[in-house]
Amino acid sequence: MLLNIKNLQAEIDEKQILKGLNLEINPGEVHAIMGPNGAGKSTLASVLAGKDNYEVTAGSVAFDGQDLLDLDPEERARKGLFLAFQYPVEIPGVSNKLFMQTAVNAVREEQGLPPLDMFDFDAYAKDKIELLEMRPDLLERSVNVGFSGGEKKRNDIFQMALLQPKLCILDETDSGLDIDALRLVANGINTLRSEERSFIVVTHYQRLLDYIKPDHVHVLYDGKVIKSGGFELVHELEENGYDEIVKQHQQA
Amino acid sequence: MSPMAQAAVEHYVGLSKQLNSSEVNADVVTARQRAQTVLLAQGFPTQRDEAWQYTRLVNFVQKRFEIATQRPDSTVDLNALQNFLPPLSPSFEVIKLVFVDGCFHADLSDDLLSLPKGLTIQFTTAQLPDEKRVDSEAFAVLNQALLSDGFTLEVSQNSAIETPVWVLNIQTKSNQLNNLTNQVQVASNAELTLIQQFVTLEGVEACTNVVTHVDIADSARVRQAVLQQQADASFYFHNQFVSQADNSDFNTFYAGMGSVLSRHQNHLLMNGEHIENSQNSACLARQKQVVDSRTDTEHNQEWGASRQLHKYVLADSAVGVFNGMIKVDRLAQKTDGQMDNKNLLLSSAAKMNSKPQLEIYADDVKCSHGSATGQINQDQIFYLQARGIPRNQAIEMITKAFLMEPVETINRSEVKKWVGGLLSHALLTGGYFSGGEA
Repeated sequence: MLLNIKNLQAEIDEKQILKGLNLEINPGEVHAIMGPNGAGKSTLASVLAGKDNYEVTAGSVAFDGQDLLDLDPEERARKGLFLAFQYPVEIPGVSNKLFMQTAVNAVREEQGLPPLDMFDFDAYAKDKIELLEMRPDLLERSVNVGFSGGEKKRNDIFQMALLQPKLCILDETDSGLDIDALRLVANGINTLRSEERSFIVVTHYQRLLDYIKPDHVHVLYDGKVIKSGGFELVHELEENGYDEIVKQHQQA
Repeated sequence: MSPMAQAAVEHYVGLSKQLNSSEVNADVVTARQRAQTVLLAQGFPTQRDEAWQYTRLVNFVQKRFEIATQRPDSTVDLNALQNFLPPLSPSFEVIKLVFVDGCFHADLSDDLLSLPKGLTIQFTTAQLPDEKRVDSEAFAVLNQALLSDGFTLEVSQNSAIETPVWVLNIQTKSNQLNNLTNQVQVASNAELTLIQQFVTLEGVEACTNVVTHVDIADSARVRQAVLQQQADASFYFHNQFVSQADNSDFNTFYAGMGSVLSRHQNHLLMNGEHIENSQNSACLARQKQVVDSRTDTEHNQEWGASRQLHKYVLADSAVGVFNGMIKVDRLAQKTDGQMDNKNLLLSSAAKMNSKPQLEIYADDVKCSHGSATGQINQDQIFYLQARGIPRNQAIEMITKAFLMEPVETINRSEVKKWVGGLLSHALLTGGYFSGGEA
């Protein structure tokens, strides 16, 4: 098993958000996590990536057999966990090239591989730029500065392609994307799918999931998974909304 | 004035009189005497002076810096300097002038007989500029009272001097006041790149007090970089009095990387039409250093464009001071003035005092000023961490990128690269991140 979340409880500013969440993910599986606003979807993504303003109060997360919660965010990334941000951050003055060359070499160091020099990195990055149809001047530009919302999210997918993680967590990557940007993002994700690589796609809408076709769909409500199923659950939610499932959960 | 400051004034007036007792140039004697009178009357500024509110001179007035009596000083260890020089030297071709403890050192400098055509350099106290503005700055007055050393650099009409002139000032002895008065005259349609670098040997407690007059004639172009890298216990005061004529272009960059107390000031007069200039700085301070940089820009004629970007990185309990004034005369229609000051605090004990000001008397102008101070955005740090970059390295990357923005305004790419390298080295090896708080 790649990821095993047991009874995860977490709070921010002394307010409990995750209230005993369980989730198991095997290599190669694509899991969608859906749910109404405030259910704890983004909190789950942030806790898994190691954002420090969240406090885990109970439960455990095993990632590739290790205690994930014991690792710094950079260690998690080096071991193959990747978070595509809901709001990718702008970093003025730091070029995408410096940023990603440093990041790729940090991951390579962890894997016992020699660092890529400037030329090797350029060649490696150029392939991914073409694959994802990114702007050709991407590497020279400051990280996300002056990028449209869609470009920022595609830049995160580009980073994912470069880092070749084991587990990709997409935190509402589809929000705010027009149809063309959504298709590019979805294509990017689909080209990265493999038998070893797993995905957690956190989303509010079914649009992205229609392109990705997840293996498993979970409904998150009030800090817990209240229903799991296959891709058909996406359409059930589309037709009936969350109310029906929430009602069933509350009656149970 | 405090008794302490009074005693300091008398000390320096005494030194000035001592210089005059052996002076043969009557003009110099007169200039020093005039400055003595002004210094005695005005004294050193106190905290009550608005322009010195955050840059306290208490430590300075407690000291009694001396001036070098032996000129040039034969006790200077030239071998030690030969070893000290290479790591500082630019990697590109320059015309090298080296001053040691305030005196020009021909042995360490390039041959002045083989200068490019159109460039002349002298070290005598030549014609004194008639500079009324000197009196409003205590350290410029002090500079005139102790007038003796410095360079006079002239570029003749239509001469474009390709090779940058690099003036390296090395202070090797403590307790000395290194008093330099420089004049730069760039004639019509001429061009010059000037680099002034101020360093001390390790642990030196000295004071460098510089006045640089820059006179830029019509259509002339001057690029300047001033690098201040003195040891932690030294003082640095530099007043630059610049005047520009029609269609001229002036680009100046200041890097403040040392001294316990440093203050770099540009007094810039735009006395013609269609003048352009760009004044920028990158300053670093840590521990209890005080780093002060200010600009006073006067748009006096139509169609002037001035640009400014000043960035500070402050660690520990360092204090940064920025003060910028853009004054637009009623004749200076179509003025385009922009001034920005941005500051990054690496510790919660560091303080920035910023005061950008505009004074506008013309009605058809475009002027803006801004100032922002803050700590590193935690979301930026986390974003880099989430890609495998350790927290410390993430903080360094973000800080360096912040500091390097004004370096981009340096026109010549080889100078830009070299200055960027010096700043980056100072930032990454100077103990700015050891506090661990960000």
